[in-house]
Amino acid sequence: MKANAPVLTLACLLLAGGIAEAADSNPALDLVRRECSTCHGAQGISTSPTFPNLAAQTPQYLEAQLKAFRDRSRADPHAQAFMWGMAAQLNDAAIKTIAEYFSKQPPAQGESADPAEVAAGRKIFEEGIEKQDVPACLSCHGDKAQGNEVFPRLASQRRGYLERQLEAFAANLRENEIMHQNSRHLTALQISQLAAFLSSQ
Amino acid sequence: MGARQATAGASLLATIFAILLLQPSAALATPGFARQTGLACEACHTVFPELTPFGRLFKFNGYVFSNVKQLQDINEKSQSTLAMTEFPPVAVQLQASVTSLGHSLPDTGAPAVTDLSQKNTAEFPQALSIFYTGKISDNLGAFLQVTWNPNSNSIGIDNSDLRFADHGSFPSLDASDFIYGVTINNNPTSQDVWNSTPAWGYPFIVTNVGVPRIATALIDGTLAQSSAGIGVYVWMFSHLYLEASVYHSAKTGTSNAFTGGPGPLDSTFGMRISSTAPYWRGAWEQDWSRNSLSFGTYGIKADTHPGGVGQGGPSDTFTDVALDAQYQYIGDSHIVSAYATWIHEDRDFNATAAANPHNTLNTARVTASYFYNRKIGGSLQYFSVTGSSDAVLYAPAAVLGSANGSPDTQGIVAELDYLPWLNTKLGVQYTAFTKFNGAASNYDGSGRNASDNNTLFVFIWTAF
Repeated sequence: MKANAPVLTLACLLLAGGIAEAADSNPALDLVRRECSTCHGAQGISTSPTFPNLAAQTPQYLEAQLKAFRDRSRADPHAQAFMWGMAAQLNDAAIKTIAEYFSKQPPAQGESADPAEVAAGRKIFEEGIEKQDVPACLSCHGDKAQGNEVFPRLASQRRGYLERQLEAFAANLRENEIMHQNSRHLTALQISQLAAFLSSQ
Repeated sequence: MGARQATAGASLLATIFAILLLQPSAALATPGFARQTGLACEACHTVFPELTPFGRLFKFNGYVFSNVKQLQDINEKSQSTLAMTEFPPVAVQLQASVTSLGHSLPDTGAPAVTDLSQKNTAEFPQALSIFYTGKISDNLGAFLQVTWNPNSNSIGIDNSDLRFADHGSFPSLDASDFIYGVTINNNPTSQDVWNSTPAWGYPFIVTNVGVPRIATALIDGTLAQSSAGIGVYVWMFSHLYLEASVYHSAKTGTSNAFTGGPGPLDSTFGMRISSTAPYWRGAWEQDWSRNSLSFGTYGIKADTHPGGVGQGGPSDTFTDVALDAQYQYIGDSHIVSAYATWIHEDRDFNATAAANPHNTLNTARVTASYFYNRKIGGSLQYFSVTGSSDAVLYAPAAVLGSANGSPDTQGIVAELDYLPWLNTKLGVQYTAFTKFNGAASNYDGSGRNASDNNTLFVFIWTAF
């Protein structure tokens, strides 16, 4: 049978149009626009130090966290207050779409911080603190803190958020055995320095 | 009871107290917004009604943030034409209280005095409200409150706010998002998101049978629920808030449908705005780590008709210029807040009888509060109202007047609160006056002292 070129073209156009329309009305992306963006920004750059930047975060980490909020295994105070409710109704497909969307956004620009603090934080990040049993962060989070699969990107993350997470790991409010061991000997000053360095990258 | 039983009883009490104190404070409090969003109260409130930075954002966004199934409809272009929450975000608020005055009120026969507390007044309820608080559609939300008031035995509209909000972005600046919106409300500053302005300012709950001071600035609650306003606002760079609104008094001449008496807005009622009154607001907020600091200005300029003067008659002019600031530290266990405001009012009297054509009134309030685990806390406020003396405007009268024509009133409010659950506050509040209507002793010319108006107020406040 001879293919009817105009009909095929029309079919392709209709199909393309249909796909474009389907992409526009993807409920998971609607959710990003309507709900996630309130705190995390439409492009994953957060609106306040309480909330993390999600732009350029690894999709594996985002997916794991959304599932941990949904099954309530991540239970630090802010997870309970904000994300338990927000993640409760997400299905696996929506979680994947949201994770992929934010992971593809361009990263935030680093925040400015005191150079002395940044230098001290960089030293901890690159070398760890041997006498406090703190390993070098870069071994898991990457030499530019860019993250690696389930190990999250930390570069250009919000300073207040980073401090809060390190404190939550240390106090076991956010349960993670590896991060608990890594953070429990850090002093408040060291946490502040690390956060200053990472948020400035 | 033997010593052993006494010990057992004491340890049981201690255990109950410890359980109350230590129980996890997860989403137990679920009035309308919490029902709609699935968020715990603490997402939006430090301790209600004070808002967190996220609570402010929720309000900027028009109360539409939601996490429940929506009744939806779309048009042929897949644009949403309806997005309504499946269940109405309704809530009930109940306040009950006991008020004790420092010294009994004399029997003056004046109704304004008889309505006040007779040494001790119990009110159950002091107020009972029904709220609809939440999303109406994608960009439209409402905070609607209807309250029954035992003093007037009437049901009336309380603070209400209907708002449209949306996001925009500047093409020239990348990723700089802003929120803009329109608010329609019935109380200047009730649309505000900081707790340093009057409508949602401290004290968050007061007795409704205390002795009122002789002078209050217009922006400081005088127009609450008796005016309607519309305004536009923008929240930019996550830092800057700008708003411009106009207020108009509601329809005049109606009678109260419930009591049959003259309505609150007919010509017997004072402080009717002639034409419209412009209101402005600007604020800057800086958030870092667990801290939030804001500074701002707000104000209103209104020509008002006093009671008994018709629409076209002479009017008084009030110009209020105010500054405010707020600080919050929101830790996991410790919450510290401070709010301050200063209101300067120019009062020009062309309609009301006054000795001076021009008077001034300055209002200042500074408050600090602390809460542990959102469970136990307290607050302390210093307040001061000072102004030019006017022997006609602030005339002597038993209890409510001023012997020396001065409006000066100063004192402190101290409060202790216990929240067994995030949505229930039990409190003891003490208000002590060092000066009332111009003097510490015999302020009214009839022998009443400022401290006689000291008020002990015990309350329960819950929303569910």
